[in-house]
Amino acid sequence: MSTETGRESRRSGALVGVMRWMENLSDTWYAYLLLIPVFVLLGIVALYPLLRTFELSLFALSADFSSTNFVGVGNYVGLFTGEKNRYLPGGTTFLPGGFSTGALLNSALVVTIIFAVVSVFFETLIGLGQALILDQDFYGRRWIRAAIIIPWAVPIVIQGMIFFLMFNSNVGFLTPPLADLGLLAPTNTLNDTASATFIVIVADIWKTSAFMALLILAGLQSIDRGLYDVAKVAGATKWQQFKLITFPLILPTIGIAVLFRSVQAMRVYGIIDTVSSCTVVPSLSCMVVATFTTREGTSAAIAFVTAAIIGIVVMGLIVWQGEDAI
Amino acid sequence: MATTTEDQNQSSDGPLQRWTQSAIQDPDKVYRALFYAAMVFFLVTTLFPFYWLMVLAVTPEGNLLSGSFLPTINLFGVSGTFPLPVPKGFNPGAFVGVFEQVPFHLYMLNSFALAVTTTVIVLFVASLAGYVFGRLRFPGRALLMLGILAISYFPPAAFVIPLFQAFAGNAPITVPFTSIPLFTPPRMLNTPGSMVLPFSALFMPLSIFILTTFYGQIPDGLEDAARVEGTTRLGALFRVIMPLSAPGVATAAVLTFIAVYNEYFFSSIMATSPEATNWSPIVGGILSYQTQYTTQFNLMAAASIVGVLPVVILVVVAQERIVSGLTSGALKE
Repeated sequence: MSTETGRESRRSGALVGVMRWMENLSDTWYAYLLLIPVFVLLGIVALYPLLRTFELSLFALSADFSSTNFVGVGNYVGLFTGEKNRYLPGGTTFLPGGFSTGALLNSALVVTIIFAVVSVFFETLIGLGQALILDQDFYGRRWIRAAIIIPWAVPIVIQGMIFFLMFNSNVGFLTPPLADLGLLAPTNTLNDTASATFIVIVADIWKTSAFMALLILAGLQSIDRGLYDVAKVAGATKWQQFKLITFPLILPTIGIAVLFRSVQAMRVYGIIDTVSSCTVVPSLSCMVVATFTTREGTSAAIAFVTAAIIGIVVMGLIVWQGEDAI
Repeated sequence: MATTTEDQNQSSDGPLQRWTQSAIQDPDKVYRALFYAAMVFFLVTTLFPFYWLMVLAVTPEGNLLSGSFLPTINLFGVSGTFPLPVPKGFNPGAFVGVFEQVPFHLYMLNSFALAVTTTVIVLFVASLAGYVFGRLRFPGRALLMLGILAISYFPPAAFVIPLFQAFAGNAPITVPFTSIPLFTPPRMLNTPGSMVLPFSALFMPLSIFILTTFYGQIPDGLEDAARVEGTTRLGALFRVIMPLSAPGVATAAVLTFIAVYNEYFFSSIMATSPEATNWSPIVGGILSYQTQYTTQFNLMAAASIVGVLPVVILVVVAQERIVSGLTSGALKE
């Protein structure tokens, strides 16, 4: 190649050598060379911790706290039999102890799943509504769109603070009216598991609906507008247009958006920590954080079970969506 | 349109009835009314929490706990509760107090420093990867992209235990599943490194996918022309492809910045105490109000408003970039 002449020759010998070597690499080698930073970063911060977490989850602290012993899948078995529940804070159990509301909401697994399912369901509905509005052409659309996106950009700690202040027993003005409706506990609201779970879910819906709206909006805007002209000529009402054209065409987009959000919802931690506390609303991530300095093995096992559940959700949605999901 | 229907229904009485009549003849009117009703509903629900913060922030501290924020009003002899909270008095001093009680500006500075550092690292590494995935064809491409996608699906909780131990710097890092020691890492808790590293890995996949899309759209001819002119391979990336994809780079930058500014999990764990001198970002600043000044709700609200301002400005200024980034990047995944 002739690129080494002229400007290259002014540089130092070593650099020219490296450059020449790089120029002559095949596409494949060049690709892997450029990917080295990605490999190093993800290797250190993602791959190594992942493997190490799995390794830790196979060990348990000995009875005298002096050493750790290999227990194989013992930690996982302990989690599912309830033997490890005594290490979890605030009397939380991993699996529900029964089918009463109290027992269900005391279980880290059930609380996380309830949170994910309920919040993602309402976020999808509200996001669809917001997307349908933003899809229209009207004066001031830019500002409305900015207003609807803003909650998505609010830091989690401030989102938590907002809802903490709205439902706090001293200044929260929303507690009395909602308590009258029977939705919340009238006193000590943020320390009541059912009420706090409700508030955390509402907070998440407030923040993340906009994200759903943007994803769905992208799907809406890729629909061929000619279809609506045809529908109008055929005499279809607005509702028929939505049911027969819009909805089927954005269903794949909604599927991906739901997948994306479910994965994020399963990780919930920050909003719980700010609005209430991990002992009141026990999510899986909460349990990992609460136990990792004292009971590594148990904590690592919970972390890995969380990852496995997310993996199952992802696989399930990919199978349901087929090729479109990737 | 309303006038034509009005002529036909002069016998009808009352504006509501007239509107109903015209709506029956012109169903589009109902859709438009529904549309505006829904729009107002969404606007109120998204913006109301900020209004509530304002109400709390300007209420003098002494008035916070006395009486209700929902005043009872007496209108034409009918008394009822006003449905909107209003401030009990006015004292904007909380916005100054926020910086006096706790060095909140230092927390925000920490957040900015962490976000900017992470953004620079992510942009550089993701640019290389985006170039590779967007413009080169090589064996293993699909598999590697799937791998990066898979990593982005793992919860942060699955990474935090070993990372915390490594950053504590007490024991040497060993090869997983063996006891072969590699090296003892320096103590990094309470330093920017312990947060920037996880942030970079966590938020890089999205940037990689955004930049892959944008870099892949640059015509081959432009890169070839630059190469014929004598640019090196890397030079073509940083001098031709990156500037031409400026909107994509800006999108990745804005999304990474916001993501780091908003992050909670690692921010709260890796800065072990919520002190600004320990590189604790706004998470620590806001939480220290919640834990130390437990009744100064006006300060909590004022701190939240101050903390949220940078991202609100960013959203208003860069909303086009955010929308295109979230839709193109996330949907490509």
